[in-house]
Amino acid sequence: MRNLPFFEDTFDKCLKCNACVASCPVANTTLEFGGPKHLGPELKRLMDNQTIIDDKSIEYCTLCTTCDMSCPEGVHVSTLTAYAKAIHADMSGTKFRDWVLSNAEMVGKLASSFAPITNLAMGMKPVRKVMEWVMDIPSERQFPKYRFKNFNRIYKKKEAQTERKVAYFAGCSATYNAPEVAMSFIKVMEYNGIDVVKPDQKCCGVPMFANGKMKQGLKNANDNINSFLAYTRQGYDVVLTCTSCTMAFKKEYVSYLGTEEAKELASHVYDADEYLRILKENDELNMELAPMKERAGYYAPCHMKAQGIGNPAMDILELIPGYEIQDVGAGCCGQCGTFGFKTEKYDVSMKIGRPMAEAVKEVNANYTVTECGMCKNQLDQLTDKPVKHPMQILADAYERAN
Amino acid sequence: MGLTLETEVIVIGGGMTGAGVLRDLALRGLKAILVEQQDLGHGTSTRNHGLLHSGARYTVRDEEAAIESYRENLILKKTIPGSIEQTGGLFVKVPEDENSYVEKWLTSCKRVGIPVQEISVADALKQEPYLTKEIQAAFRVPDGAVDCFTMVVDVVADAVRHGAKVLTYHEVVDILTEQNRVKGVRVRDSFSGEEKEIYSQMVVNASGPWGTKLAQMAGIPLKIINNKGMLAIFSHRFNKQVINRLRLPGDADIFVPAHNVTIFGTTGINVEDPNDFSLDRQELEGMLAEGKKLIPTINEMRLIRAFSGSRPLYQEVAASDASGRNVTRGIALLDHYKRDGLDGLITITGGKLTTFRFMAEKTVDLVCEKLGVKAVCTTDQQAIPHRNAGEFFKNADIAPAAKNKLFNWAGTNAPKIESSLQESKVIVCECEQVTWAEIEAVLPEGGRFHLGDVRRRTRLGMGPCQGTFCNHRAAALAVEKKKATIGEAERAIHHAISERKKGMDVVATGETAKQLQLMETIYKVSLGMGEEDVQYV
Ligand SMILES: Cc1cc2nc3c(=O)[nH]c(=O)nc-3n(C[C@H](O)[C@H](O)[C@H](O)COP(=O)(O)OP(=O)(O)OC[C@H]3O[C@@H](n4cnc5c(N)ncnc54)[C@H](O)[C@@H]3O)c2cc1C
Ligand code: SF4
Ligand code: SF4
Repeated sequence: MRNLPFFEDTFDKCLKCNACVASCPVANTTLEFGGPKHLGPELKRLMDNQTIIDDKSIEYCTLCTTCDMSCPEGVHVSTLTAYAKAIHADMSGTKFRDWVLSNAEMVGKLASSFAPITNLAMGMKPVRKVMEWVMDIPSERQFPKYRFKNFNRIYKKKEAQTERKVAYFAGCSATYNAPEVAMSFIKVMEYNGIDVVKPDQKCCGVPMFANGKMKQGLKNANDNINSFLAYTRQGYDVVLTCTSCTMAFKKEYVSYLGTEEAKELASHVYDADEYLRILKENDELNMELAPMKERAGYYAPCHMKAQGIGNPAMDILELIPGYEIQDVGAGCCGQCGTFGFKTEKYDVSMKIGRPMAEAVKEVNANYTVTECGMCKNQLDQLTDKPVKHPMQILADAYERAN
Repeated sequence: MGLTLETEVIVIGGGMTGAGVLRDLALRGLKAILVEQQDLGHGTSTRNHGLLHSGARYTVRDEEAAIESYRENLILKKTIPGSIEQTGGLFVKVPEDENSYVEKWLTSCKRVGIPVQEISVADALKQEPYLTKEIQAAFRVPDGAVDCFTMVVDVVADAVRHGAKVLTYHEVVDILTEQNRVKGVRVRDSFSGEEKEIYSQMVVNASGPWGTKLAQMAGIPLKIINNKGMLAIFSHRFNKQVINRLRLPGDADIFVPAHNVTIFGTTGINVEDPNDFSLDRQELEGMLAEGKKLIPTINEMRLIRAFSGSRPLYQEVAASDASGRNVTRGIALLDHYKRDGLDGLITITGGKLTTFRFMAEKTVDLVCEKLGVKAVCTTDQQAIPHRNAGEFFKNADIAPAAKNKLFNWAGTNAPKIESSLQESKVIVCECEQVTWAEIEAVLPEGGRFHLGDVRRRTRLGMGPCQGTFCNHRAAALAVEKKKATIGEAERAIHHAISERKKGMDVVATGETAKQLQLMETIYKVSLGMGEEDVQYV
């Protein structure tokens, strides 16, 4: 890992202005964390062509990428913190727990083959206690549920016949924990006359990057790139429903790998709502949406904000007659992928998430809308409002209209 | 008139040469005082490239210099390990460089005995990915990187440990003579303006580029040509080892790694005034255009500052030629009794940083000869305490990056720093990871608070932000900890900022222009510090 060629020289531009530190949800919550400026551009500069430095506090970085957005100089801060994570994992070794958490896909596969048992087990106190002891996963922490009828088992389409063709990357969350999100998306596309295929795919790699498993993450990245390029080269658009996976396809693959293939693929990648917004702009969107008298609060995941495409989910849901949706305007949820699952990070995770919980309470809608399965997990834990993916609501609106 | 002092030998100039002479004198048991007009290393000794020559650069043109350099290179690596990074160096041939030079160079390196190892172009590019893909040949030589800041400080500290005395911020304003003999010097305290006389049996003039001025004080003719060279610093260290062009030495053909930065240079223009540290944008552009042939992306990389220094080159004055004892063509050791009929004064000048120890040895040999002292030089054997501090800081609760710096830096200050770290673990300079504890450890007892002195000893403010954030932090802490008065702190900030600004202005495009703006905003707007001229020393 230490020899991994890392195509990253934006650290040279850092002016030490501290904007990234001021915006980092973790640095604002705990002094244990060295912060984005230090662990990003500063550390990289101090190590280049010299001794490699292992800073344990990098474990606190959630790779939420808020720092990237705040930097006026365009320093790829979170790419650099991901690098620091890889160094830390390589030099200090990875905990068994981090290995489990970074292998969301494998855990998903294993768990969903025993889905009812896993869900029960995850909920059962004694088992949870064991997890805390053995794996440092806090017993208070709620887990996403694993489904026996996971998306892989339900959907296998590999070829589209329609004019617009979509290659769908479902991601671990929609595959194993929330297949209803994936199915809703396919339905929404159907109502718009678009065939959706599901190319061969692996976990996007984000949980691996977050736990310093850079090599493994990059292997998945390359596999996904190859698999999806075969489709984009035949005119398919790549659409995703998970904001973190979308970020990986759009940005992380490009900045970590720096290959032409990564760049080529990135130019064909869309978030699901972003894609629908394009259909709307081209007057291609099916507007037969049944009115809905509901009031929702929208929570924007960090990885949505980081894409810099505004709030496509709200733009689309507002097209439903009578539907009211309001941005709860909260910062990071604190779950941050696998971060909030770790005992030593649990308090920080809860602390970061509290303002979000307050905001949700304040808005007091019927339910909360968010795209990210991990944010949903935190919302489930910290608020008493149900949480839905925008595709579920849209699918509902189309269905009721027909 | 204040106090008078007495000693055996006075050394004028706290550059590397004077420092070396002082230590050699002390090790041979002679009483000595070094007088420096500003801080140690005020002159060329901290205004150079920091290349520990292997000699390979000189083999073709000046074999003697090559032999001396290689021998001293080996000695310094052994005796001053704390200030030298054994990076190794590459000599790289690009298409513009003459083919025939390679053979000539290899033959003369062999004759001198400098080990040269050819490596494949592919390996060279792997080791140094910023090199141009056009390179045609690469050779490894035992070049190194010298930290000239720590070296001058450590050599003087070791002299002090052996009984020598040092007066910094004391300018020699007169050389006292009696009949045809120098009996001492008059010095002026740069802070208080107070003057003292120091008497001695022998005065060594090691004032580098200021040599002519000192000779004038003694009433003798001495022509020092000051050959000013410009150097530029890149914001990060992009090379592992020294990179040289494989051609007859010319301008802008060396890249030396120095801790977290890369230093690039240089040029040569004769100037009159030893205090001329001016910087010229056009000169820099010329350097970059040449440097591009080795490092094609040079213009896209961020420069944080530039600086200049002058090589003091001795020129024989025709009439008194015969009495100058040139140790080699580059080094001049002048016995002014033989040369000018003035006893008790020796001038040592020329040479290089790499050969300072040898110059000192020859000088002190002459001092001993003249004073009738029998003592042999031991500086080629006796080592100076290392800067490593591996046994310390194991449990210090500071960022691993700051710890890493201390491991390689703290040296003899380690116990002091470790204990004050328990009180305050504030990192004052983030770019270079300087803790308050380090700053405190280098503040002189009862001395004046001067950020430049702190910078030379700790690297405070040497990183990409050039003190935008740390200068005022360090000054504020110094006041808080009663190490400086408010007036001193303010003066120190002004001085530090105007000095940093000079070096940044000339490279201020892109990020550095923004950094400069940010720095000015912080100091002028946020801290309300105006442009008004403050008197500094
Ligand atoms: C651009 C450049 C690059 C170089 N690169 C290298 C290199 O890479 N490797 C290498 O080996 N060599 C290098 N050199 C050469 C080397 O730096 C010099 O040879 C060496 O530093 C000279 O040291 P010095 O002590 O003789 O002079 P200085 O360091 O100039 O010391 C003279 C001191 O005398 C003090 N002084 C002057 N007048 C008075 C007074 N009246 N009273 C009290 N004190 C006084 C000054 O303040 C000064 O500190 C380089 C030189 C230049 C200019
Ligand atoms: S990615 Fe998020 S947690 Fe990590 S440094 Fe950046 S802002 Fe902080
Ligand atoms: S916001 Fe960007 S420029 Fe400012 S400190 Fe952070 S990385 Fe550096």
